[in-house]
Amino acid sequence: MSRTTSYPQTMPPTRPEVSSEGPSSRPARWIELATSADHKDIGRILMAASFGSLFLAALELLIMRLQLAVPENVFLKGVTFDRMLSLYGETGIFLVALPLVIGLLYYVVPLQIGSRGTALPRVGQIGLWLFILAGFLLYGSLLFTPPEAGINPLPPFSDATFTPNNGVDVWITSAGMAVLGLVMISIDLLTTLHNLRAPGMAWRRAPLFTWAGAIVTWLLAVIGPIFLAAITMLMIDRLYGGGYFAGDEGGSPILWQHFSNIFFTGVYMIISVTFLAAIGEIVQTFTGRQLPRKAFIWSMVAIAILGTLAWTQNMMTAPLPSGWKYFAMLISISLIVPFGLIFYNLISTLGSSDFNMRAPLRFAFGALSLASIGLAAEIAQSTIAVATQLSETYDAWAATHFAMIGFVVFGGFAAITYWYPKITGRQLNEDRARISFQIMFLGTIVAVLPLFAAGVEGQVTDSYRYFAGEGFDTYNLIAAIGTVILFVGIVLAVGNLVKSKSEEPASTPDPYRADSLEWLALSPPPAHNFDVLPDVRSTRPMRDIREAINRRDAEASETAGAPQPVA
Amino acid sequence: MALSLNPDAGSPGIEKTNTLHWILFIVILAVIVVVNLAILRAARPRDRHVQPKAGRRPSQVKITAGLAVFAIALFTVATIFSDQSREVPSSTETVAGQVKGEPLQIEATGQQWLWRFNYPNGAFSYRRVVVPAGVTVQLNLVSTDVIHGWNVPELTGKAQAVPGETNPVFFRADEPGVYTGRSSVLSGQGYDTMEIEVKVVEPTEYEAYIAELKQDIQSAQDKVEAEFKKSKQEATIGAAEGKKMEAEINTVDIESADSE
Repeated sequence: MSRTTSYPQTMPPTRPEVSSEGPSSRPARWIELATSADHKDIGRILMAASFGSLFLAALELLIMRLQLAVPENVFLKGVTFDRMLSLYGETGIFLVALPLVIGLLYYVVPLQIGSRGTALPRVGQIGLWLFILAGFLLYGSLLFTPPEAGINPLPPFSDATFTPNNGVDVWITSAGMAVLGLVMISIDLLTTLHNLRAPGMAWRRAPLFTWAGAIVTWLLAVIGPIFLAAITMLMIDRLYGGGYFAGDEGGSPILWQHFSNIFFTGVYMIISVTFLAAIGEIVQTFTGRQLPRKAFIWSMVAIAILGTLAWTQNMMTAPLPSGWKYFAMLISISLIVPFGLIFYNLISTLGSSDFNMRAPLRFAFGALSLASIGLAAEIAQSTIAVATQLSETYDAWAATHFAMIGFVVFGGFAAITYWYPKITGRQLNEDRARISFQIMFLGTIVAVLPLFAAGVEGQVTDSYRYFAGEGFDTYNLIAAIGTVILFVGIVLAVGNLVKSKSEEPASTPDPYRADSLEWLALSPPPAHNFDVLPDVRSTRPMRDIREAINRRDAEASETAGAPQPVA
Repeated sequence: MALSLNPDAGSPGIEKTNTLHWILFIVILAVIVVVNLAILRAARPRDRHVQPKAGRRPSQVKITAGLAVFAIALFTVATIFSDQSREVPSSTETVAGQVKGEPLQIEATGQQWLWRFNYPNGAFSYRRVVVPAGVTVQLNLVSTDVIHGWNVPELTGKAQAVPGETNPVFFRADEPGVYTGRSSVLSGQGYDTMEIEVKVVEPTEYEAYIAELKQDIQSAQDKVEAEFKKSKQEATIGAAEGKKMEAEINTVDIESADSE
């Protein structure tokens, strides 16, 4: 089994155009990375951008919470707070959540389906660079006029009449470029999923995370263009005097609420599906048991379709025909079934299995716990009567933040720590991961739980101050302290990802004895992913391969004493 | 400080909303506690070497059916209470300016950054609206600039005032008192101070109030009108004098031209 085969140093003269001096010297590592169309490089850059942006988003949240720590605070001016709020919203949705989802899927899914690359690599590469430009544009605007019209810039407030400066144009351009880029990457992934699966990798054998990839890319292909159309209309309204969202010119401001909420609600579902599937993979690997596939996959499909259809759940206070409000209430409450089924299967499988508590599982437990609080609290937000009281207050903010911090931050760290050995070729420092998890979990609870109380007391969101005597002081002070803890935890957890890469020992290709094909590739995988493509025969191809190797070894040891055939 | 789950109901609809919120609060709390206890139980440290019995899972269909029953029950309860809270209460009193059997119509206009209220008799006020107790009020929310969030938790909850559309909210305040609120949709630099005050008074007091308000506005308007007329008169006189002077200058010019 010797791989040191010697090749002839000079080529035969039949191919005179081939240089015999060997390949030219490789370009610098960063040039290689920046010009790469490899799905693994693009996925890594997206994930790195996402964790960098997570730091920025946490910083912006911290600044806002410090401003709100005491009543009538003068730490920030009103306009500065609005800018922080707008930056925080755009960073959280477009620069943290979506790139993490797409980056993870784009890295892992082609490996899971046994593909040697993606179908349209250049499309993915253009997408990556659109996305990166979007990030630089948004944060470059800090030198000029950052956006200041809120997390969702509702026209007519975001029209040129009421917000004449360029902030909203920056919001439109950067959000549009980010979404366009991510849609392009997901189209590449979608094409790969449908065309480049390994032999035998039928949909009925595809891993859960691959299914999530299919669901997410399809959903993004639907809601992404709706969002791009909406922001184009807003831009025409702003720059060319259009009337799409102007009430007195035949348009309607409600239209924007529909378009933007279709997108934002869809993004919520994309995030939920992706990280529930990642947690599903983690649970299957660490317990060694399969989750019920059909139930899990159909639940994810139901979440994606029903959840997005329930967009008017966010518009309970808008002047809509009441039928739509009842429809939204029905659809959002019906989400209890798929979410409940997935949660039940994950928790009951964990509860009845033996496992080693390692970083991915720890973060997965945290994600399930926090997301369960947020999703349950959303039930109140989706009933018509109670939504008129609680929407647009910190109760709604707290519900969304529990679900999103649960899925994106804790689910994100669960996924990244799970695939960390594959992506970096290194092990992750377990002690640091445990400490950062504990700090982050404590921080999230302390930072967000009191806001439920502030919300039911009536504190409205998006306001840069409140007044003494309104009864919100204690809750906001506790939340500010919690946000400091959360910020420290996030810094430690991101720091661990960076530090482990240079300090920890190298990892084997299959450190967890997992079932899906990404663990067949080397860690980190070479550019072409696999030397040999396996023939997939079941939903657990890696177990089949390990068994085949064991069988072969057993046969080899049986025949060890027999005379070798003469070569 | 005591945490209150709900605002004190000042209108029959809010009572139903509060009941629904109590039900949902208990259900949601129960769900959170059950799920998180199960998570804690699953995550607890235990003997890692004992192979668990891979028992049969309960059938997925049964779990789905159970969850569906729970969701349908929740939807039914939420629909019943939402319907009740949206019901337009009927007036127990009648005031001037109210069509018999119809709610009293008051228009609330959101502007950056205050609210203007137009009463049926033509009187108007800013920031504070005075309504009669025991009379159903239909508050027609409109906006002249951006979207504003009408938000008085004790009486109506939240509703958007959208330019180009009318969004009615209904309430009947039974007890005299003062209810405050604050706009709930980001509308710009004065958003944080965009406060609302609803003052509920006895119907007779309301009638007297808006009559006086109308009279005050009328007298202020009369004063402005009188001043306007006076200044216009002066302007006419001034204009006449100006013409005279102009004519004189012209004659002087002509004379001087003639003399050359």
